[in-house]
Amino acid sequence: MTSWPLSRNSIRVAALALTLCAATVLAWHLHVRKIEDTLVRADPDQAVTDPTLVSFAMGRAPPLYRSHCAGCHGSDMRGIHALGTPDLSDAVWLFGLGELPDIENTLDYGIRSGHPKSHNITDMPGLGRIGQLSAAEIQDVVEYVYAFSHADADPEAVRRGRPLFMDKGSCYDCHGQDGTGNVDYGSPDLTGHSGWLYGGDRQTLFQSVYDGRHGICPAWITKLSAAQIRELAIFLYTTARRAPHAPTGAAGVT
Amino acid sequence: MSVLSPDPEAVGTAMDFTRVHTRRSLLLLAIGAITGIAIAGYGLFTAKGTRVHGVPPEAIALVNQRPILRSDYITQVQTQYSVRFADTTPVERRKVLDDMIAEEMMVQRGIEVDLPSFDPDVRSMLVAGVELQLFADVLAQKPNDAELQIYYDAHRANYIRDGEMRLRDLVAAVNPQRPLADAQRDAAAAIAALRQGAVLDKVMAQFNLADSRRLMDSGHVDLGDVFDFAARARLDPAVFAAARVLDTGQVSDPVTTADGVHVVVMVKRVAPAQRSFADVSNEVWRDVSEDAKRKVRENNLKYLRSKADIQVAAP
Repeated sequence: MTSWPLSRNSIRVAALALTLCAATVLAWHLHVRKIEDTLVRADPDQAVTDPTLVSFAMGRAPPLYRSHCAGCHGSDMRGIHALGTPDLSDAVWLFGLGELPDIENTLDYGIRSGHPKSHNITDMPGLGRIGQLSAAEIQDVVEYVYAFSHADADPEAVRRGRPLFMDKGSCYDCHGQDGTGNVDYGSPDLTGHSGWLYGGDRQTLFQSVYDGRHGICPAWITKLSAAQIRELAIFLYTTARRAPHAPTGAAGVT
Repeated sequence: MSVLSPDPEAVGTAMDFTRVHTRRSLLLLAIGAITGIAIAGYGLFTAKGTRVHGVPPEAIALVNQRPILRSDYITQVQTQYSVRFADTTPVERRKVLDDMIAEEMMVQRGIEVDLPSFDPDVRSMLVAGVELQLFADVLAQKPNDAELQIYYDAHRANYIRDGEMRLRDLVAAVNPQRPLADAQRDAAAAIAALRQGAVLDKVMAQFNLADSRRLMDSGHVDLGDVFDFAARARLDPAVFAAARVLDTGQVSDPVTTADGVHVVVMVKRVAPAQRSFADVSNEVWRDVSEDAKRKVRENNLKYLRSKADIQVAAP
């Protein structure tokens, strides 16, 4: 007997179809959850070498990057000088050696984010603001740093700047005597070989030394799931490893 | 039909589910009750009533349901042994994990015994930790010179170099032997003499004026330079008001206070002066930061107060 609006058979078919759809969605959800769990539980080396996990992460990370990272680091991942955000498309890292746990740790807790576990040992002090160096001395230090990467630096100012870099300014303490930085402190390479965070011209360098810098990165641990953070970390790790002429080991940008 | 007095026709075997069966109902009820009591008892006596079975993927361990994060564990292993995680041994990893579990248990114990309620060190650390989180954005701000100039213009009074004065505060005391009118007469005569260049000590002796002893240093009258703020704190307000407008070498008009009639002799005066922005830009830079911190702290406290139930006994 047909009853309005659907026959009993039609209702059964519809119910069956809905059940199948729900079962498929559930199965897919469980499948994704299972891969997520495997991804999160995997040791770092396994997570970046297992093709299934890498493929899974690389497929899911770009939307995460666009919604959480691109605002500061740019949609092309090249960083933004005005904000002092580093280039994430190269293999140069401010903190750590660019291994997956290093990247993951930075994503979890951020840089000077206010989270007690963030990278917050130090920041670039405003040597002019706190009176450690005078404006004239800072000009000399800037010239000394400028000479790392430029041949047209004023030799007299460079000569005066060296002892300020090594002694009164205490620049060497974080940036090293050779100016190549220190990934434990997140102090960038000043030799210009790794690019510049805020810019490498004299005026920007002067501003960096006089006013100081205090770049921050949020702590994502409270906003993203463990799986999402690992997906982003694998995405950044893989992108950096694919960068042309990727340097290995410690390096930094300023 | 009542369950307590069932129809004898309806009473069948326990496995006959088509019929009402009193014994079966009671049996199921008893099984349910016993199961519930067993679960509750287990939870109660093992203190694991809300235990989640299995460690979630992001955690390496659960200590009383509190996770120790896998990422923290990996970072700790690498930091402790200064090698990549993959290069550490199972023994090394186990040691780190045991240490982290021990730490978690100790922290939980600290919370259990309510350390924050009575340990001043813990309380200080908690306050500092909260402030560190609050100030993260403030510390990231690096105001430029234009912004500093705006702040300076709005707070010019904060950047005035305090004046200094070296003075004598003399008083013609009022007492039964010298009524107010006599004291005023003596003070006026002394002022006239001083303004004509008479020697201070002689004038004091001639008109019976004594030092007010408001400005003292180690038991003696302070004859050195005194900052304005110090003089303001120590002199009678009316006397300070008369003193601050004097230049070097000037003598004030008589100032009548409760203890007599005062005469201020300004030996040396360096007047307050507005410091230029160029001179104080670094101080402004620091003050902008401190001001921002203060505002953040106040707003946070305001927010916390709005949520808190604070009861204050009548003072």
